[in-house]
Amino acid sequence: MQFERNAILVALLAAGLLPLAVHDQYLLHVAIMVLFYAVLATSLNLVVGYVGEFSLGHTAFLGTGAYAAALLSTQLGWPMWATIPAAGVLAAAMGLLIGSITLRLQGPFFVIVTLSFAEVLRLVADNWVAFTNGPMGIAGVPQPAWLAQAGNLATKQFFFYLAWGVLAVSLYLAYRFVYSNAGRAAVAVRENRYVAQSIGIRPFRYAMLAFVLGAFLAGMAGGFYAHYISFVGPEVFRFAFMVSMIIMVLIGGKGTLVGPLIGALLVTFLEEYLREAKELRLSLFGLAVMAIVLFLPRGLMGFLTTRREMRTPPYALSRAPRGAAPADWRSQIRCALGRGGAILSGVSGAWRLGKPK
Amino acid sequence: MDLLPQFLANGLVIGSFYALSALGLTLILGLMRVVNFAHGELYMLGGVLGWWVTTALGLDFLTGLALVALVMGVFGWLVDRVLIERIRGQGEEPGILLTIGLSIFLANTALLVVGTAPLKVEGPVSSGPVFLGPIVVTKIRLFAVAVCAALIVAAYLLIQKTRLGRAMRATFQDPMAAQLAGIKTANVYACTFALGTVIASLAGMLLGSIYSAQVSVGGLVSMKAFVVVILGGMGSFAGAIVGGLVLGVAEALWGGYVATGWVDIIGFVIVILTLVFRPYGLFSKRAERA
Repeated sequence: MQFERNAILVALLAAGLLPLAVHDQYLLHVAIMVLFYAVLATSLNLVVGYVGEFSLGHTAFLGTGAYAAALLSTQLGWPMWATIPAAGVLAAAMGLLIGSITLRLQGPFFVIVTLSFAEVLRLVADNWVAFTNGPMGIAGVPQPAWLAQAGNLATKQFFFYLAWGVLAVSLYLAYRFVYSNAGRAAVAVRENRYVAQSIGIRPFRYAMLAFVLGAFLAGMAGGFYAHYISFVGPEVFRFAFMVSMIIMVLIGGKGTLVGPLIGALLVTFLEEYLREAKELRLSLFGLAVMAIVLFLPRGLMGFLTTRREMRTPPYALSRAPRGAAPADWRSQIRCALGRGGAILSGVSGAWRLGKPK
Repeated sequence: MDLLPQFLANGLVIGSFYALSALGLTLILGLMRVVNFAHGELYMLGGVLGWWVTTALGLDFLTGLALVALVMGVFGWLVDRVLIERIRGQGEEPGILLTIGLSIFLANTALLVVGTAPLKVEGPVSSGPVFLGPIVVTKIRLFAVAVCAALIVAAYLLIQKTRLGRAMRATFQDPMAAQLAGIKTANVYACTFALGTVIASLAGMLLGSIYSAQVSVGGLVSMKAFVVVILGGMGSFAGAIVGGLVLGVAEALWGGYVATGWVDIIGFVIVILTLVFRPYGLFSKRAERA
């Protein structure tokens, strides 16, 4: 917890200082995309890592946010500081709608239905020409007027700090969620649904919370994207975004807050580096996904924490004297659940974590 | 209104293609509990290979079909033994991720090799029309439907009548008991995956002779196959066939009477409705594990 908080703070601080050192527009653009993807990966991670269900439809929220921001600003003339939060709120509403249907399902059903929703939205964006301008998309999403005189570098810097702000808000919200009672309850559900249910945690409610929060963050990212690229078309729903997000979360390690940030950094740079060979890049990505699943199933962060846990024997926790500082809850749950017949201690451990208010 | 029989016929023709495409998926899903997201790419590989053997090697259609079946069978077997075996028994998520990775890899590698152009598989019969009362169907479509039906029957016989099929069904019912009875379940799993791969690739080659084989088609095929499987119930043989026909007819009617641009949405709406109201499909015999 401390480690994650400190790592996030340091990363944000370093990122915030970056434009002072870098004045190259291209590098700044890459940095902006890193921040943008970091928001997306964080939001997907809330669903994949903390609900424990695999969503392939996260582009639904990205797209909803992007279209919302584009339409609000071009049709109604809303300023940018209003459209980005509004994009988040609309995406969250979409998340509530989609979640209320999909979160009742698990496993492959959940995957396919979330994917279906994203596809339905893509088809709507493609075919409802009167509203979305169809495949032509919405061009000329306005940027703040003063940027026109400020020059290209200042524009990039402005958007860098905007993305930085969105990321900071996202990480703050994600952090507050993950280390709240609700977040711990969600983790208890992820680790063992039945034990969680038996102590009065309602899986649907906490899954929904995480899902809607993820949708909100993805929607804000979409709103930012609309203003930054200044164009929104049905491609925002395309599967390639989804693939990038998945790889980021997986490489970094799902179920950690720092993991997706590392993933976003690595993958965005890799994407830029391999831009020359577009198809080869995707082939390599495919191989990378397979390799991660086979050899690094918990991602880089998972790899690190596993090593740390190996150095401190997990059962030491249960032998700790009563009244000692509460140990890391996750290993507590895991060691309680891992031993056969120790369900009871699992219940009591989870009870302490997810005490209903 | 006089177009209704034509729409129905078109729907049934397309539906039988859907049924064949989905059959492999439902077998793999039902028996192995692996959600194969690379299914559409296996279909695509079948089409591309079919194009290659009929044009570059100059084989005739049916020989080519047999060769494709052989090659893809070996490929499917290897995929299972090399990749899927490693994550067996770890729940569904690793399987989903692994096959997504595989599908990305296959689609883009194929793109590198053969490019985006549509590849026409040389069909065995002409594409001239046949008039059946008020209905017009092309000869090649009738041929394809006949091959589809033959393949479905062959798969059915394989599962119901052969020793391998019995082993498959036993493993489906209870892997542990099957293993205790001396069935090499690893082998059965590999054979099932190979069978699913063969069926998918044959569907790809067959349809490549009607439309054309295209590298980018995989995602759409996977989605349609999932629609059919969910509609029919996972692992249900009859469900895949009925689901395929229902989807085909629904799309044909929707495209004929409402709007062609929105045809693809039908499938997704069907999926969402099915999962909300009848989550285990129309034909599922057993309740899903919680």
